[in-house]
Amino acid sequence: MAGLSEFELLGRVTIGQYLPTGSRVHHLDPRVKLVMVVLMITAVVVSHSLVGLALLLAAVVSGLLSARIPLRFALAGLRPMLPFLLLLALLQVVAIPQYGAGATVIWRWSILTVTDRSVLAGVLLIARFTVMVLGISLFSFSTTTTELTHGVEHLLRPLQALGVPAHEFALVVNIAIRFLPILAEEAERLMKAQASRGADFGRGQRNFITRTRRLLPLLVPLFLVSLQRAEELIEAMEARSYLGGKGRTHLIHLQARLSDYVALASVAGVAALVIRLSLTNADGMVWRWLTEHLL
Amino acid sequence: MTPPVTPLIRVRALGHTYLRGTPLEVRSLHDVDVDVCAGDVVGIVGPTGSGKSTLLQHLNGLLRPQDGEVWVNGVPLSDPAVDMRAIRQRVGLLFQSPEDQLFERYAGDDVAFGPRNLGLPAEQVRDRVRKALDDVGLPFAYKDRLIAELSEGQRRRLALAGVLAMEPQVLVLDEPTAGLDPQGRRGLLAVLSDWCAGDGRAIVLASHNMEDVTAVCTHVHVLVEGTVVLRGSPREVFCNADLLARYGLAIPAATEAMHVLRGRGYPVSTTVLFAAEAAREIEGLFGGRVI
Amino acid sequence: MNRAGKPFICIEGLHHTYQAGTRRPVPALRGIDLTIDAGEYVAVIGANGSGKSTLLRHFNALLLPTSGNVWVADRNTSDTTNLRFIRSAVGMVFQAPDSQIVASVVEEDVAFGPENLGIPADELHERVEWALSTVGLWELRQRASHLLSAGQKQRIAIASALAMRPCCMLFDEATSMLDPVGRMQLLETIGQLHDDGMTIVTATHNMAEAARAQRVVVLSEGRIALQGEPRSVFAQVEQLRALELDVPQATQLAWAVGERVTHFPNDVLTVAELVNSVVARLRTRAGDGS
Repeated sequence: MAGLSEFELLGRVTIGQYLPTGSRVHHLDPRVKLVMVVLMITAVVVSHSLVGLALLLAAVVSGLLSARIPLRFALAGLRPMLPFLLLLALLQVVAIPQYGAGATVIWRWSILTVTDRSVLAGVLLIARFTVMVLGISLFSFSTTTTELTHGVEHLLRPLQALGVPAHEFALVVNIAIRFLPILAEEAERLMKAQASRGADFGRGQRNFITRTRRLLPLLVPLFLVSLQRAEELIEAMEARSYLGGKGRTHLIHLQARLSDYVALASVAGVAALVIRLSLTNADGMVWRWLTEHLL
Repeated sequence: MTPPVTPLIRVRALGHTYLRGTPLEVRSLHDVDVDVCAGDVVGIVGPTGSGKSTLLQHLNGLLRPQDGEVWVNGVPLSDPAVDMRAIRQRVGLLFQSPEDQLFERYAGDDVAFGPRNLGLPAEQVRDRVRKALDDVGLPFAYKDRLIAELSEGQRRRLALAGVLAMEPQVLVLDEPTAGLDPQGRRGLLAVLSDWCAGDGRAIVLASHNMEDVTAVCTHVHVLVEGTVVLRGSPREVFCNADLLARYGLAIPAATEAMHVLRGRGYPVSTTVLFAAEAAREIEGLFGGRVI
Repeated sequence: MNRAGKPFICIEGLHHTYQAGTRRPVPALRGIDLTIDAGEYVAVIGANGSGKSTLLRHFNALLLPTSGNVWVADRNTSDTTNLRFIRSAVGMVFQAPDSQIVASVVEEDVAFGPENLGIPADELHERVEWALSTVGLWELRQRASHLLSAGQKQRIAIASALAMRPCCMLFDEATSMLDPVGRMQLLETIGQLHDDGMTIVTATHNMAEAARAQRVVVLSEGRIALQGEPRSVFAQVEQLRALELDVPQATQLAWAVGERVTHFPNDVLTVAELVNSVVARLRTRAGDGS
């Protein structure tokens, strides 16, 4: 990314950032959004149909558009993962041959076999990843962390009767998310401080042990600083009489509206359709239609 | 006529924007000029968020100039072929709360981190550690002490030793005395003054502690919202009481007293920094020593 | 609850040793006797390691005495049944702005304390509004807490403590990480709270800050070395030098003037006072016609 210094980590990580555009998606009840994310993930994992994934992709992209998130920004979040992803897909294609009904071998070289189903599997892998990343990014772009933790806490509250520490859990998530940018800043500062003393965090094939040792000047202080912050936070919470989730009241109460139910219903519908599609041979049918009409 | 001194560090028209090109971009510096010559102690003062830390990080190449240029010993830092590690040896940078960056178990090992990274042989590393500990006023025996057992003030000195062990020409410090008690402050400033007295050395420090700045600085640059609004010797700069007050910056009590007296019609000089000078001016109002 | 002039915090024979009973105990407080009256503004100063922070943490039962007693509004801090009362009667603001903010949104952080006390929802809203308005940050109530400046964060921390309706506020070097502007704003807020009857105890390195208090307590190596009104404490030149402590810049200036102008008052605390003293002296001299 032009213009970013080698140390600006936060600029590259787009997952987890919040973009306030004030769209309708931003105003949806966070519980509904959480459930939608779960439905989407389920559909992605279950589906082995390209048609299904294409549908999900379309759904996610339309979600991004109605949330007024610039598509380029959302796609940029994929970039750091691209090399890893391509490698994985390549492995999938080349090293794990898929024989199944109607599989034809496309290429063979000594022990490596590539069938058309392997290629499909590779493409599916990339598609799944893309939909997941975009979907989760959409969620985080349109939901503040506080909405997230309120959503989680409200969803878990009925389970409190069964002994599930809903508030504690939500608090842990909240604090972790809140301190992530603070710790990232610390890490950046530490990297810069050690680089100023000639440390080289670089590249180059070195063995695992040396590479890990080079990270010690970062990890040890970061760990100590985190512990220190945790202690300070604990003191502050004790000073405000925190004694766990029992007996606490709440300032914020979530209330779902009609638009929330409508959104939930539509996403549930799409998820159901995608899951249904993977039980049929939708891909085969689409492929036949394409070959008949275009070739 | 003496030939012009080549600055150790020269900054011209420097500009910087964080996260440039993303929706979250923020301009932190524009059009900044600074010269650092041997023997100078340059103070960069300004409110929080004025860009002090950003400017400091340009001086040793942690940040490359986006607009304008930074030269270290005549070498322009925007040149992609620059040997950054050599620059970082020449210009040592100590961040805020440097005691938080110590990572070794034993004090000596942490100080040795820098020289070892330079690839120096063990004997030389040992000498550097000895000298650095001496420079910061810690006995050589401290090299075998556990870092966890040192006081905060000692750990800060240790962190400084770690940078001095690189034998830099210019020492850059971000809020060096923040959080120290009065005794710790005085000790650290003394260490810095002594070090700077060496040949061909200079110091750049960012601070919003006026007492530090008046105590050690030879030049002051006032940075507000990313640009230099005032520069000169401490006396010249702190004369501008109203301007500084508008930017939310304090001036030494001695200077303030002179301004107030002058405002009430008394003929005193306002280019005063220290209590002793102010006392002399006030004595002057009484027409000489009052018995 | 706050009867002005009556003792609010009483400390008798307080000793505190960290890691007591282990191989390396660290004595931090070695016998403190102190009384703080309701509505008083006390500043505690001393070198790092003198025990300031340790002392403060006894006032809201974050720490319990190794020996000795601490009473807050006639309740002993060592008795756990008193904990809830003490924690809501005594609020605390810490040094690091980031590490005392619990929630990501300002109003939720301010509500955190009263939520813990089980205050019902409508009263929660009232308290949050009152607390934020008192520190002048009601418009920032929906803001993300990490986007505020350090000074604003500290004021939010004050609001978060105020929401518990304390009658005493403790400040542990709360201004040390702030720039001059932030520090001024915070001190003004503290002054305002004091004017409204709050008991204030601050631990600080900044002598100009300590000069604003009604009483200054000087700690050295876990004991009280000196205490009294700021004027009388900062006039003790030799003793403070021996303790390696600073005095307010204006006081230093007064000492310097005092070396050249006889009988010049050395119990000056601010530049304004210094200037007034100079002007007054000049006028009396003019009046004498000398």
